[in-house]
Amino acid sequence: MNHQRILAVAKREWREIYRDRLFLSLAFVFPITMMLAFAYGLSLDVEDIPIAVLDQDRSELSREYIHRFTDSRYFNFLGYLNHPDEIDELLTTQRIRAAIVIPDHFQSNLQEGRPAPVQHLLDGTFTTRARTTKGYMIAITRAFEKDVVIDFLSQRLGVSPQQVTEQLAPIKVQVRYLYNQAVESSQSLPPRLIVLVLLVASPFLTVVGIVREKENGSIYNMYASNTSREEYLIGKLMPYASIAAINALLLWAIAVWVFQAPFKGSAVLFISATLLYVLCTTVIGLVISVFVRTQVAGVLITAILTIVGGMLYSGVLTPVSMLSEDNQLVCHLLPAMYYTEIVDGVFLRNVGLTVLWPNLLVLAAYTVLLLIVGYAKFTKRPKT
Amino acid sequence: MSNTIVQVENFGKKYKRLSVIDNVSLSVGKGEIHGLIGPDGSGKSSLLKAIAGVLDFDQGVIRVFGINVNSEKAAEKIKGRIGFMPQGLGQNLYAELSVEENIDFFAQLRRVPQKVLETRKARLLEMTRLEQFKGRSMKHLSGGMKQKLGLVCSLIHHPELVILDEPTTGVDPVSRRDFWVILSQLLEEFGITAVVSTAYMDEASRFHRVSLMYNGKLFAQGRPEEIRALASGSVVIVRALPQAEAFTTLKARYPQVQPIGHHLRVFVRDKEPGPAEEIIRNSLSDVQLEECYSLEPELEDVFVALLAGRNGHNSTGPGITVRKTREIKAGEGSDPAIWAKDLVQDFGAFRAVDRLSFEVPQGEIFGLLGANGAGKTTAIKMLAGILPPSSGDGRVAGIDMRKAVQSIKSRVGYMSQAFSLYEDLTALENLRLYGGIYGLSGGLLKERIAETLALTDLQEHGSELTQGLPMGVRQRLALACALLHRPSILFLDEPTSGVDPLGRRRFWEILFHLSREKGVTILVTTHYMNEAEHCDHLVLMYAGCSVADATPAEMKRALQEEAGDLLELTVDRPMPVLELLASNGFGDAAIFGNCVHLLTHSIDETISGVRLLLESNGLPLHKARKIPLSMEDVFVYRVTALEQHTSEGQLA
Repeated sequence: MNHQRILAVAKREWREIYRDRLFLSLAFVFPITMMLAFAYGLSLDVEDIPIAVLDQDRSELSREYIHRFTDSRYFNFLGYLNHPDEIDELLTTQRIRAAIVIPDHFQSNLQEGRPAPVQHLLDGTFTTRARTTKGYMIAITRAFEKDVVIDFLSQRLGVSPQQVTEQLAPIKVQVRYLYNQAVESSQSLPPRLIVLVLLVASPFLTVVGIVREKENGSIYNMYASNTSREEYLIGKLMPYASIAAINALLLWAIAVWVFQAPFKGSAVLFISATLLYVLCTTVIGLVISVFVRTQVAGVLITAILTIVGGMLYSGVLTPVSMLSEDNQLVCHLLPAMYYTEIVDGVFLRNVGLTVLWPNLLVLAAYTVLLLIVGYAKFTKRPKT
Repeated sequence: MSNTIVQVENFGKKYKRLSVIDNVSLSVGKGEIHGLIGPDGSGKSSLLKAIAGVLDFDQGVIRVFGINVNSEKAAEKIKGRIGFMPQGLGQNLYAELSVEENIDFFAQLRRVPQKVLETRKARLLEMTRLEQFKGRSMKHLSGGMKQKLGLVCSLIHHPELVILDEPTTGVDPVSRRDFWVILSQLLEEFGITAVVSTAYMDEASRFHRVSLMYNGKLFAQGRPEEIRALASGSVVIVRALPQAEAFTTLKARYPQVQPIGHHLRVFVRDKEPGPAEEIIRNSLSDVQLEECYSLEPELEDVFVALLAGRNGHNSTGPGITVRKTREIKAGEGSDPAIWAKDLVQDFGAFRAVDRLSFEVPQGEIFGLLGANGAGKTTAIKMLAGILPPSSGDGRVAGIDMRKAVQSIKSRVGYMSQAFSLYEDLTALENLRLYGGIYGLSGGLLKERIAETLALTDLQEHGSELTQGLPMGVRQRLALACALLHRPSILFLDEPTSGVDPLGRRRFWEILFHLSREKGVTILVTTHYMNEAEHCDHLVLMYAGCSVADATPAEMKRALQEEAGDLLELTVDRPMPVLELLASNGFGDAAIFGNCVHLLTHSIDETISGVRLLLESNGLPLHKARKIPLSMEDVFVYRVTALEQHTSEGQLA
């Protein structure tokens, strides 16, 4: 191996990237845009659900019930309705996502111990959002119900409401969310997006860089000279791995400064794990480019593999433990999940090398394996 | 056999069971320039890549420097000693890098020591006259300059063998000549052996030995003159009135008849020039014969004759029988079919077409000639109503192009330079699609399709997928698509690039038929100078301007008056002869294989003068004779003069 040849290849590649302003800006603009778009656009929290109420009872209790919703940060109360037909129209035009109908005699029914029907209407288009909304509404209703019952009993028995509460609900649940006290996805999502963005962006550049040489024929300069496979591949990967590393740094800065994600762990651990991951994703591009002949094919295959892999099997958007067993197996076979664990651990939990060393080992093994595949399949004397 | 550099035995290569080249053998000796000549798809690239050790192959043995190149490991052993330039204009160079950075990169790959590099680079840049462009980005070089840079890059490590795949394809005639001179100089100076492929038959004389390829098979092999001798005969040029009748008469007896402008060109096999002329005169007793003379056959004539013999039938197909007589009379009667006045096209600060004016009478075949980037395509696009001109006027079929673009489009057919067919459709489906685009449907569409299929002789290919068709057939299909709406004017932008000689002849026969019988006006651009001779009238473009506007014969006559006749000297070593001639005042001499061409006003005096000069310097002169001027000579002379004028202007 001759380091001058490697440097010659790397320098030439860098010059070409640097002078091709479109390619250069894409190399940095694309990952940053993707990060911002996902972080802003992909909030997994359900809040500010627009809601309207048709109150046919217009009683003290019905108003109090509605107050429970208007006071909540989960609902955005848009006002009272006058006619049942309005609900349909508002739901269809998606100006509200939920509606409550309180019929006549709501208050008298409650006070006299009869069942008091209330209708909740929900937009079921997005199932997860609808289910979450339903959960909120039921929880609010149950709390209201409990208070009504407590009031009723304390009046009847002549004891204080506290006493009734203690009798009625003896279990006191204390919840504390660890690592993400506010349970906001803006805390945990942006750091994880680094995993996804690097997984998609770094192989893209490598694939385009190598396959365009195949397409226009300049790869024959390598084939027809004594430049060895490893000299070419190393020289070729260097600029792309460097760009990916710079991107990792930029993404980290965005996560911490723009999205205020906490960074609690060791910077050294994060940097070394990230470099390993960057190398691994760049080499994924190399392996893809060995098997394709045109840039279009290369870009499509890269997009499918990395976006599907990154969205479904990386643990970035859905926790791995929530997936089916088969899918969990797929996660374990792909590298992204291991880096996601490192990112979660370092950003939110200050977990150290003692816990994360197997993940680093897997990433390293993965990189070496892909390098071997790419090297073995790259030939200077192809069949076509 | 230490003198054999390349030895190929029974080479064959398949791509997914499709055999592209089969059973080819050749050997190349030290110092030889070996030519692989054949049309697109004849298997030249596969063979060259296999020799360079960059393509795995199925059959046969290839030895380079005595090493059997049968594995990647074995191929590594030869790579330090070879240079390889793949096909495509500047495709193996790096667009964003400057000329010098490109050279330096190749030198670093080849591990040329810095000191050696500096001297070599200086010498190569000087010889290729690229010095002043050292700092320019590769992407801003002209086609010819890109190829010269490619050559420098493949020679920077002084290889013993250099393999060049179609280095002159897509390069204009001036740059092509220049390229060949530089290549032969470099190879001689450094003692390099070369294997070079080309699709241009007329480049055969550039090689010591050639292998003629066709359809993946070796067709003929040997020195150019040996191959020429395989099908002996003479070419007779006649001008007879009426031309169409004469054509029909001759076509019935001779398979190789081509209409060339107002002349007919006939290849008469196995006959000396005298008897050949006699025979043709006799067979044309029914028509009025105005002119009749003979020429030596070109390699292309031989190739077509050999091919005909091999295929066992009339090589140019059923041909087109011309029934009616319709002679065009330029400048008479009705309005011109195309009229352009001071057409200008600016792209930003760049003026692609500069005050272009010309007239094309109805039914004429009109050629636009020019180097790459001279503005031919832009001119055609403006006239076809695709690109609005920045200024100037034009009338096409009597319609003002500025006012009624839509009605122009219904009267013209346009065949673009880029391939305009859908490859996944069959020939018929393509025709139906284009028919639909022109608003034809139902019975009318059927009728028109049948008509154009017959006209372009494509009936047997109707249901075949376009991607599987040979280049020549595809181009005929593209022409058929442009003819569906029966346009009275056809615009053809380089319709025959990449097509083999047979295919090109057939294509031109159709054009001749369209022009002479149907009265269709045809405006065509071409890179093949021998095709320019087919045109009735030519405009030569340079830097967006028209610099000559005349018939081919007039252009040749003008050159003869200005620069003299063409003298061909056959010698052993053309390079020192050229240098000697140059230092004695024959500056515009050019090398063609073992011959040197020069222009002179006094043939006999020059011959004796040159003979004396060469013999006193120990360089034998085997043969010296006057040969007819070709359109390529005209083109090269005019454009070279303009280029010199321009660069002098820049210096001043």
